[in-house]
Amino acid sequence: MATLGRSGWVFATGLAMVLAAAPARAGQPTDQLRVEIDRVLDDPELKREGRARERRVEIRRIANGIFDFEETARRSLARHWAPRTPAERDEFVQLFADLLERSYLSKIELYGGERIAYVGETIDGDTAIVKTKITTRQGTEIPVDYRMHKRGDRWLVYDVIIEGVSLVANYRAQFNKIITTSSYADLVKKMRAKQDEVLGDEKQKRTSQR
Amino acid sequence: MERTRVNVAVGLFVLIGMLALGYLSVNLGRVSFLGGVGYRVTAEFPSVGGLKPGSTVEIAGVEIGRVESIALKDYQALVTLRIDSRIKLQEDSIASIKTKGLIGEKYLRISPGGSEKIIPPGGRIREVEAPVDFEELLSKYIFGKV
Repeated sequence: MATLGRSGWVFATGLAMVLAAAPARAGQPTDQLRVEIDRVLDDPELKREGRARERRVEIRRIANGIFDFEETARRSLARHWAPRTPAERDEFVQLFADLLERSYLSKIELYGGERIAYVGETIDGDTAIVKTKITTRQGTEIPVDYRMHKRGDRWLVYDVIIEGVSLVANYRAQFNKIITTSSYADLVKKMRAKQDEVLGDEKQKRTSQR
Repeated sequence: MERTRVNVAVGLFVLIGMLALGYLSVNLGRVSFLGGVGYRVTAEFPSVGGLKPGSTVEIAGVEIGRVESIALKDYQALVTLRIDSRIKLQEDSIASIKTKGLIGEKYLRISPGGSEKIIPPGGRIREVEAPVDFEELLSKYIFGKV
């Protein structure tokens, strides 16, 4: 009886541990991504016209919970990352996040009810791939894969692969070309000029001084 | 005496011919004596679409290895590469299957990463890009627009 009781207890504890671990492990990156993406798509504030500045802040806030901008920037800069000073790296990450935001995140108002299906997930150590499929209203399916890695207890996206084309690979090639044909300083100058241009446009629209 | 000379000449001629043949087959057939040289890394692709054993592996257009074998694993393509041992691949290197020109042969391009971690012999390139299937892409956007 005593042995039975003990083995029963061991079994119960084991089961409890498995149960506790299972939801954390099974589909964790997917679940996390789904929650964040749904949050973006359901946020009425983001769709409202005007108030570009507030919207930008809000988008950036949510994006920081999904993307690891530093990792994406580091991978995109690739072998040109190592020679940079910490200050340069910080600046670059900021400019790169601005670039991504301009190119992709600010297009969120174009979202018109496309369906997102989460079709699969593979976890390999502390990296994971979450496969999704976006179905447009015309019925076209676009495969979008998110490459994620674990930072602390959260899974963060460091690369997005749309229709088989990697975002990091794309920027890596572009940055490498600019840096090898001219210089890193030139790349930063270009990125900064672009961002200033956008901010300038916004400022003009608001017709107010900072 | 005369006969021996002719025999030797013929023998030499045949020998040179065979050597030339051997050289040709090694070069054209991409049989490499470097079989043991270099190290192996693997990469998994959802599709290799036209990549073959013997296809070149390039960084910046320079050949740094060859595709050794391609096998199916969990309905994915498992590609084994043999890389020149002088070349170090960073852990965040991206392997993409590209086409030479518009309709040329497929090759594997590696864009070097910036990580301090190096992929060890027998390791795996995690970041991969499958070849873009232009036909599929085209039909998708043709038929998609209803």
